[in-house]
Amino acid sequence: MAERRVSFVAPLSFRFSAAALLMAGAALSAQPAWAGKQDDTLRMAYDQAPESVDPYFNNVRIGVIIAANVWDTLLYRDPLTNEYKGQLAKSWKQVDDKTLEFELRQGVKFHNGEEFDADSVVYTLNFVADPKNKATTQQNVRWIDKVEKLGKYKVRLTTKEPFPAAKEYLSTTVAIHPAKYYAKVGPQGMNAKPVGTGPYKVTEYVPGKSITLEANKDYFKDSPKSQPKIGKVVIRFIPDRQTQMAEVISGGEDFIMHVPKDQAEQLKTLPQLQVKSGNTMRIVFMQMNILDNTPAPQLKDERVRKAILHAIDREAIIKNIVGEGAEVLNTICTPSQVGCTDEGAPVYKYDPALSKKLLAEAGYPNGFDIDIVAYRERNQTEALINYLQAVGIRAKLNFLQYAAMRDMIRAGKASLTHQTWGSNLVNDVSASTPVYFAFGNDDITRDPKVRDLLDKGDHTIDSAARNAAYKQALTMIAEHAYAAPLWSLPVYYVANKDVNFKPYPDELVRFWEMSWK
Amino acid sequence: MLAFMIRRLGLAVLVALTVSILAFLLLHLSGDPAVALAGEGARQADIDMIRKAYGLDRPIVVQYADWLWNILNGHFGTSVYFKTDAGPLIFSKLQTTLVLGLAALGVALLISIPLGVLAALYKGSLADRLCLAVAVLGQALPNFFFALLLIMLFSITWRVLPVSGSGTWQHFVMPAIALGYYVAPAFMRLIRAGMIEVLGADYIRTARAKGLPAGKVIFKHALRNAIVPVVALAAVQLGYLLGGSVVIETIFALDGLGYLAYQSITFKDYPVMQLIVLLLSVLYVLLTLAADVANAWLDPRIRVS
Amino acid sequence: MAAPIPPVLAEAPARLTWQRLRHNKALLAGGAILLLIILVALLAPWLSPHDPYFQDLTHRTAPPVWYDKGTWLHPLGTDQLGRDYMSRLFYGARISLLIGASVALISGLIGTALGMAAGYFGGRIDMVVSFLVTTRLSMPVILVALATVAIVGGSLWVVIMVLGLLKWDRFAVVMRSATQQVRSLEYVSAAQAAGASTWRIVRSEVLPNVVPHLIVIATLEAASAILLEAALSFLGLGVQPPLPSWGLMISEAKAYMFFSFWLIAIPGSALALLIFAINLAGDGLHQWLTPEDKA
Repeated sequence: MAERRVSFVAPLSFRFSAAALLMAGAALSAQPAWAGKQDDTLRMAYDQAPESVDPYFNNVRIGVIIAANVWDTLLYRDPLTNEYKGQLAKSWKQVDDKTLEFELRQGVKFHNGEEFDADSVVYTLNFVADPKNKATTQQNVRWIDKVEKLGKYKVRLTTKEPFPAAKEYLSTTVAIHPAKYYAKVGPQGMNAKPVGTGPYKVTEYVPGKSITLEANKDYFKDSPKSQPKIGKVVIRFIPDRQTQMAEVISGGEDFIMHVPKDQAEQLKTLPQLQVKSGNTMRIVFMQMNILDNTPAPQLKDERVRKAILHAIDREAIIKNIVGEGAEVLNTICTPSQVGCTDEGAPVYKYDPALSKKLLAEAGYPNGFDIDIVAYRERNQTEALINYLQAVGIRAKLNFLQYAAMRDMIRAGKASLTHQTWGSNLVNDVSASTPVYFAFGNDDITRDPKVRDLLDKGDHTIDSAARNAAYKQALTMIAEHAYAAPLWSLPVYYVANKDVNFKPYPDELVRFWEMSWK
Repeated sequence: MLAFMIRRLGLAVLVALTVSILAFLLLHLSGDPAVALAGEGARQADIDMIRKAYGLDRPIVVQYADWLWNILNGHFGTSVYFKTDAGPLIFSKLQTTLVLGLAALGVALLISIPLGVLAALYKGSLADRLCLAVAVLGQALPNFFFALLLIMLFSITWRVLPVSGSGTWQHFVMPAIALGYYVAPAFMRLIRAGMIEVLGADYIRTARAKGLPAGKVIFKHALRNAIVPVVALAAVQLGYLLGGSVVIETIFALDGLGYLAYQSITFKDYPVMQLIVLLLSVLYVLLTLAADVANAWLDPRIRVS
Repeated sequence: MAAPIPPVLAEAPARLTWQRLRHNKALLAGGAILLLIILVALLAPWLSPHDPYFQDLTHRTAPPVWYDKGTWLHPLGTDQLGRDYMSRLFYGARISLLIGASVALISGLIGTALGMAAGYFGGRIDMVVSFLVTTRLSMPVILVALATVAIVGGSLWVVIMVLGLLKWDRFAVVMRSATQQVRSLEYVSAAQAAGASTWRIVRSEVLPNVVPHLIVIATLEAASAILLEAALSFLGLGVQPPLPSWGLMISEAKAYMFFSFWLIAIPGSALALLIFAINLAGDGLHQWLTPEDKA
């Protein structure tokens, strides 16, 4: 009976696979005609189209990338040294805990010819900070109280509360729009015809299909961003990952990102492609619901939580599934963030025997059943489940879309979560840890001591005091095993061999730095 | 006949209303639109602000009534997600899907007519079975698998067609094949059955006995008669093709109505989703009306009931 | 409302003889393949070389035995988490068969009840059913699936319920037409005139005559449901991992299509075979249950 089975199924798939393999082998190694270098056009594919190109009205990574290339910000954070440099601002001064003053650069022009001056900054920031204008990137502007013009090239910015992370936002996501144009056309018009000061300008935009950027020949030389070398960039929106792969294999596209590890390693074998990976700011961790009405009361026992942490072999998962550049985390924050540290925090080594012992002590010698909810990187969740099963914790997967999962967590219905957080590029702990531990709706732990420490860190300008407060909070979280820190996620980029590019931890694709070999 | 049509139009309105209410409810139940809108990096305060700004904190009945009132006044609403007017947004995507749907229908007929005729002519033989097998092949594989196979063959191995996009007619060839092949078997069976029925009729046998060439007999008389119910089915299938092309549009990056519907459902974009559902339900009712008229003309028994 | 229904026999369907069955190659071939798959599904625990859920992270995507690097330890290779593919294939047969059968049953019950009521009683009931069918057809399937998954979470039973509650339309339409045709036949009017109750007429005169159509539609809908499960998995709305459903295996293997084709080809071929067998058997059934010159 068994033999009949194999011989029935096998020949069918053998013929199928052999043919396909021959086909694939022949095709994949053929040298395609690379138009990219020849017509000085970089073709990039991305899966999700932004709902608007205006940086204040979209929440997708490609929107952030386009924003960095088409617009400039007041300050600029050097990705390698992490120091702040002036970009549209020549210099700045922290006047008091809630006030910053900026001297603006002169002689900068927007893509439509309009001049950059204090009016641009005042109008843009006051507009987007006003809730009635419905900006969807609220976290980037909510902290701004008002901006006043002090002179043609001088402005004063006031924050609602002492906000040490202000410079971080002002150097990454707070783009400056042309005042006259923005006042006239508004966000809808800015989306239809985007105008900024950046190294690339938008020459064509078909919403949902593609956007074309061309090098800005008049980009101001004093900018910390270098002059663009590649003449044209065409970004096409291709939702399916395999289609993106097919495009890059057949030469239709020159650059794709967020390629899953396995596929990236396979693409590496093709001579016409290059694959690079880099660590990112996205951290992965498991939340554990210990609120009063938690569906999993077992989690309230600290021994159970520690058992969970000891059950996972993070190194093995990273090595086999997560990818190159991933790092083991021991505290719930992105290591590069200001204020993030794992000094003094306990490290929970992989020890399934200890897990079982702790579970038995807590009263669960035969383990227990529990739900785990996730929304991405499903094979990582499955690996986690496997390790939990091995110590008797029978975890059942509930794989949902992001919004549905978040709803579930906020409604208190989640027990274990396989969570990730990217901090939106903001390199400050105030953008990560407090989201999950400062009594917000995503906090399913709610330890008031931790919250108080985080609040202190969020609103203290003195950096030594900040760091001390954050360190205490992070260590406390680790000591009580409130959440299970896992790893940081790498991102894989696949490009055609002729492209010179460098991956950065903020996942920003800097077109102005890229060139042809 | 007139009463029949008026009853049908009344049905159309009722269906459209019911579907729009159901869709609204389901969307509301499937997740908080403020969370979807605020995006992944949003904090609690951001979500609350967005909820208030976009009127998503009002009771659901109020939101629905507001939408309905606007529609009846000709205001098709603004996409909560894309922040542009819903009407023109849908219209621009509709064009792509319409081209895809018609092309797919063309492919379906191109496959099913010859196969159906052959199967009818050689009824009961191996050729008959083979024709069915070929027709059913398009339904034996999941559509995304089939679509990617086509890409492997035509774009990677032979490099004769572009992988994705919608710029030229070549971009529509593989999507049309993938979508059209899927609906072909229904047509094939219909044509086969119709042809068999007609070929067995007396006047056909008379024509053949008189010595008329077989080809002429087949195409002039038999096929023409067998086609009528196919037209009715085509109308109905067009409705399916327009509404059910999400997977194909996703794979081939066609950015049509199907993909927009998927996006609006994912991001809880009420105005757009409601408008699409409304459009598709009206379209569907009209298409089935057309099909029913064709069928009633054929078979008076249905008309009477 | 479009497929023409061949008129049913004026006599009771006692002509279904074993002789006709023996010569019906389609039904025999399709039935044989189906039987095979059912046997595999039932005997999966004894046929599978390994536990279909056991992960071996150090031996992921190992190729089947006929490749250079393949071994007999995993004759059909392993998947992206190092699970034995042959075992998953055998256990997956259960899921696909279960989905096909359950969805056909649920949607068949709903659709037949509605369709027969509409066809037999006509008038207002017919209008109501028409309304229900059109409403159902105008509802986007994805929205219903997404909403259900968001509220209840994804699982095998959710998939079956969603598909079962959505796929009854063809049953309703076909049963309605078939019932209408039967109702107009003489012996039914005779039974009505004789004063027989509605239920009796339906049970003894109408039902036996429409059963052939019912069975044929059931096979087609079963095949379609099995395929739809794969599409739902593609959209993330299908059964939850680590369940080894063929649809989920295909949608997960899609990512490996260009370099490890066997990962999608093996469950893909199995699925295609199952669907093919169902279609074959369905057409054979159609042939067997209807008079010769209309087949």
